[in-house]
Amino acid sequence: MIVSASLKALFRRRGRTALALSGIAISAALLIDMTMLASGLTVSFGELLGVSGYEMRVTPKGTLPFDSEAGIPNGTEVGRRLAAMPGVAKVAPVLGAQFRLAMGDSAGPPLFTMGVDPRAQFFYRVIEGREPGPGELVVSEPLARDGRISVGDSVSLASGLDASLGARETTRHRVSGVGDFLYDYADQHSLAMPIGDVQAATGRAGEVSLFGIATEEGVDDDALARRISAAIPEVSTYSTRELMVEMDRRLLYFRQLATILGSVAMVVTALLVATIVTIGVRERFGEIATMRAIGVRGRRILLAVVVEGLALGGIGCLVGLPLGLWMARRLDRILLSFPGIPARMTFFAWEAERVLLAIGLVIAIGAIAGCIPGLSAVRAPLGQALREEAE
Amino acid sequence: MILGLALAALLQAPPALPELLVERRLAEAVPLSVGDTVRVRALAARGEPSPFIVAGVFEREADPNRIARNEYEMRFHLPDVEALTGKRDRVDRFAVVLRPGASADSAARWIEGVAFGTRAYGSAELASQSSATFRVISRFHDAIGIVTILASAIFLLCVMVIRVDERRRDVSVLRLIGISRGTVFRAIVVEAIAIAVAGSAVGAVLGLVVARLVNAYYASVYDTTLKFALVTPRIVVLAALLGLALGIAAGALAAWRVVTVPPQKLGER
Repeated sequence: MIVSASLKALFRRRGRTALALSGIAISAALLIDMTMLASGLTVSFGELLGVSGYEMRVTPKGTLPFDSEAGIPNGTEVGRRLAAMPGVAKVAPVLGAQFRLAMGDSAGPPLFTMGVDPRAQFFYRVIEGREPGPGELVVSEPLARDGRISVGDSVSLASGLDASLGARETTRHRVSGVGDFLYDYADQHSLAMPIGDVQAATGRAGEVSLFGIATEEGVDDDALARRISAAIPEVSTYSTRELMVEMDRRLLYFRQLATILGSVAMVVTALLVATIVTIGVRERFGEIATMRAIGVRGRRILLAVVVEGLALGGIGCLVGLPLGLWMARRLDRILLSFPGIPARMTFFAWEAERVLLAIGLVIAIGAIAGCIPGLSAVRAPLGQALREEAE
Repeated sequence: MILGLALAALLQAPPALPELLVERRLAEAVPLSVGDTVRVRALAARGEPSPFIVAGVFEREADPNRIARNEYEMRFHLPDVEALTGKRDRVDRFAVVLRPGASADSAARWIEGVAFGTRAYGSAELASQSSATFRVISRFHDAIGIVTILASAIFLLCVMVIRVDERRRDVSVLRLIGISRGTVFRAIVVEAIAIAVAGSAVGAVLGLVVARLVNAYYASVYDTTLKFALVTPRIVVLAALLGLALGIAAGALAAWRVVTVPPQKLGER
């Protein structure tokens, strides 16, 4: 009864409570967003790495995937050794290069080109046509759209440009398909062709930029990575977890910004709840003193005040959650315009556990903030409180 | 005879090793000092590493573009890099200084027309292209700033409404003894402005302290002289004006709630 009276008192002043709730909702929304941002890109990156089924990457010693022009020599032999290792299910070699669409003597801008084994690749999914055979290639959707290229067309590619003579060493390829390239940023122009064709066109015979490795079920990625690095010392091996750690290191700024803003949001929430509950308790000081005088126990009164804080925090979170998700979508749209970020990634990942933790934190702050005025009301000398109320 | 001996000594002496410069962070991490010999191999090259003498240690310019990867740097003579990478007569980019009065745009178009596959950028265009990342971060900060301002405005309004509500009986008495609505309204607005100004002043000091802490923290994380947070006079003035505007708005709204109610009703519990 005392708890319900306390809650009724909270909603007696509707305008004030509505204001406080909107403030708490915005703070909760900001806290939820910062929680999602803190790990968003890393989690999203991990999901993107895992979606292809190739959980590990093997690169030239000391480099991250496509971080330098370095290549692994004798790629065929290294690939064979990798495939023979226990726990390895599939090996996908990749050679990165730059080609240009040749038009007579001139050539278009550089196109990111991947040499892949069409039977084992993890960069694209064919959405029209089929995987490329020798002399064929798959183009990304934006390239097909902007370059008006269709399946069955022939295109000329230049692997290099001579500053004086223009396009040189051009090769003709038939477009066998249009692909959805998983790691491309929005509107990126890319293409993929058999790795042998890229090696021949670029004069990098037998070279591989990286291998993707699909592991057998139940295999410990980190242990396998250590075994590969020990067996083939000229390469570095990264499990998805290690790549995520590296991503995390590079995005340290966002993680810490999220921590700072999340902390500010928590402080604002605590202040708002504490202010509202304190004023509410002050207004009902006489009422509380009377209840104490007629024998209502201090613990019950304290509980009523804490419930008031909990209610404010809880309702604020209920409103704040959809607001936070809406804000996350808007902020994500801003951040995804970063150059070079894959269009499939998101800066704000929904992780139920972390979001629930953030909501729990706001509600707990509400309860703690309610404790302070509650305790002061319960501990105030009874006689003085009654006298003040009478005055 | 002396000349002959000197010539013989020169011919017998091993050829001088090429030199390089290492970045201060790398020199500290290895550690390396001037005069040390290091063996270097390009990641993309095959073959044995080549020896170089450390001729000096340099401090890298504070460049926000490179802060995420924050890789160590070494500087070589161009022919040495060509030899290390096996890429003869190849250049990634040229920096061109134009004669006074020459148009950068015309020069850029001329270069692109003469040399296939090149892109020429003026300084402004280059700065604009390379700052794309920071424009995105800036837009993100703006969006977060708007949310924060909204939360602060609601907080201030809440505080003012509560303060005014607390003194409804006082306001009632003032109105009953003849103090006009306008005077009460102005008094509340002035109080709100005072709270907003005091809050802005405390906020500015807090901002300065937090900015110093943030900069000290990132300076230790990235070992850089870059400033991640700056509190400039313009920002302080902007924040104060914003606080003032919010104070006036919050005060006016809170005051409106009491001046529109008849004084007899204000005294009711």
